Amino acid sequence: MLELDQLTKSYGGRAVLAGLSHGFKAGEFVAIMGESGVGKSTLLNLIAGLDAPDGGRVIVDGTPMSSLDDDAATRLRRTRMGFIFQAFHVLPHLTLRQNVALPLLLNHASPEPAGAMLDAVGLHGRGEDFPRQLSGGELQRVAIARALVHRPALLLADEPTGNLDPDTANGILQLLRSETRAHGAGAIMVTHSHAAAAMADKVLLLTSSGLKLA
Amino acid sequence: MSAPEARMSAPRTDLPPPPPRSAGTWLLLAALAALVVASFASLPLQWRAFFTAEAIDSAREFLSGFAPPDTSAPFVRKTFAAFWETLAMSAIGTLLAALAGLPLALAGAGRLGRVARAGTRLVLNVLRSIPELVWAAVLLVLAGLGPMAGTLALAAHTAGVLGRLFADALENVEPHAEQSLRTNGARPLAAFLYATLPQALPQMLSYTLYRWENNIRAAAVLGVVGAGGLGQMLKYHLSLFQMPSAATVVLAMLVLVALVDAASYLLRRALTR
Repeated sequence: MLELDQLTKSYGGRAVLAGLSHGFKAGEFVAIMGESGVGKSTLLNLIAGLDAPDGGRVIVDGTPMSSLDDDAATRLRRTRMGFIFQAFHVLPHLTLRQNVALPLLLNHASPEPAGAMLDAVGLHGRGEDFPRQLSGGELQRVAIARALVHRPALLLADEPTGNLDPDTANGILQLLRSETRAHGAGAIMVTHSHAAAAMADKVLLLTSSGLKLA
Repeated sequence: MSAPEARMSAPRTDLPPPPPRSAGTWLLLAALAALVVASFASLPLQWRAFFTAEAIDSAREFLSGFAPPDTSAPFVRKTFAAFWETLAMSAIGTLLAALAGLPLALAGAGRLGRVARAGTRLVLNVLRSIPELVWAAVLLVLAGLGPMAGTLALAAHTAGVLGRLFADALENVEPHAEQSLRTNGARPLAAFLYATLPQALPQMLSYTLYRWENNIRAAAVLGVVGAGGLGQMLKYHLSLFQMPSAATVVLAMLVLVALVDAASYLLRRALTR
């Protein structure tokens, strides 16, 4: 479902990605590890179409991202992808239900499934709470619910447990794993944590020479 | 002395000693003190003149002219009408300023590019650098005597102030929420409306209410140059030495400022809770 074809990207004359190629199957949970600065977050941004490669192609469901204009790329992200960030990025002025319903509203769909999604991530009865009333682990649960509520084909997670203690991180990873499986979504998770990577179907190591199995 | 008391009174040894003051610091402080003394010495301030029996008698005579205030029904009705006029001038002036300030703030916060940001910041600087009184003088020529010129003068100056404050509020909002919405497929306008504006809005409303408080006082002053309201009444009665009438107008100003201060405080507290 996702194909990276000879991707290159440089910043200030320094090559971050040099001819990277790899294929990701639908429904596959992949962890990407690598040293800081090797280009893991850059790779996620290229996959999401938030940044353009200097060379090569990102192909999603047979469509090269480079062939899409900004509106079409925005639409593709909105319908086919979900995102989870290290710092949660939950909107502070919206209730949990409203936060989770946002991707549905952006897709002009009914917000109804938001409640069930909150139940699924263990936040039953908390829909009218505000983010300030939640712990870090609970906020990441909200972020997971928001990322999956519109049933995306691909979940992109950038250090999703980076701000959490080990026990909470373990719970979040198990939830992430079970929910992506339940929704039939694939996932690409960038992480520094070996414990997090151990949850994945496949662990890839990103180095200056490309992606290889760890 | 008990053990806890001894511990409390013992000098703390876990903090390093404060850094020594350099000779330059002492010299600078001495120079500043000398400047303050020289400033007082160079001005012909006659403090004693305030407290002579003659000065105190004159002040007593002048102030006693204000009592009792004019409470005749026709004059109170006239003052009440001016009270509402001042309130309306300040409220409409502030509302117009907020309406003009928001689009200016969007450009001033760099939402429409760097060139628009620099140009808009320049316009905002000009608007707020010119005091309300000067705006009123200019607008009185264009719009004639009365509250219209005063209202527009308040709006022009306050648009410059609010535009700048709104722009800063928008720039200071934590950007990740909007970025995360953009990443999740929201269009730029939707991401702004859902993520950035709601975060900045309480602060923007708070700024607007605070400026309304200021504009109540400014509206009273603008009346002095013919822009209507309580200020115009005050100038009229003072110039005719009708002190009881002037006292009623001053009391109306005090009540107005106190009411708006209280209302603004309660609204701001509710918004920032």
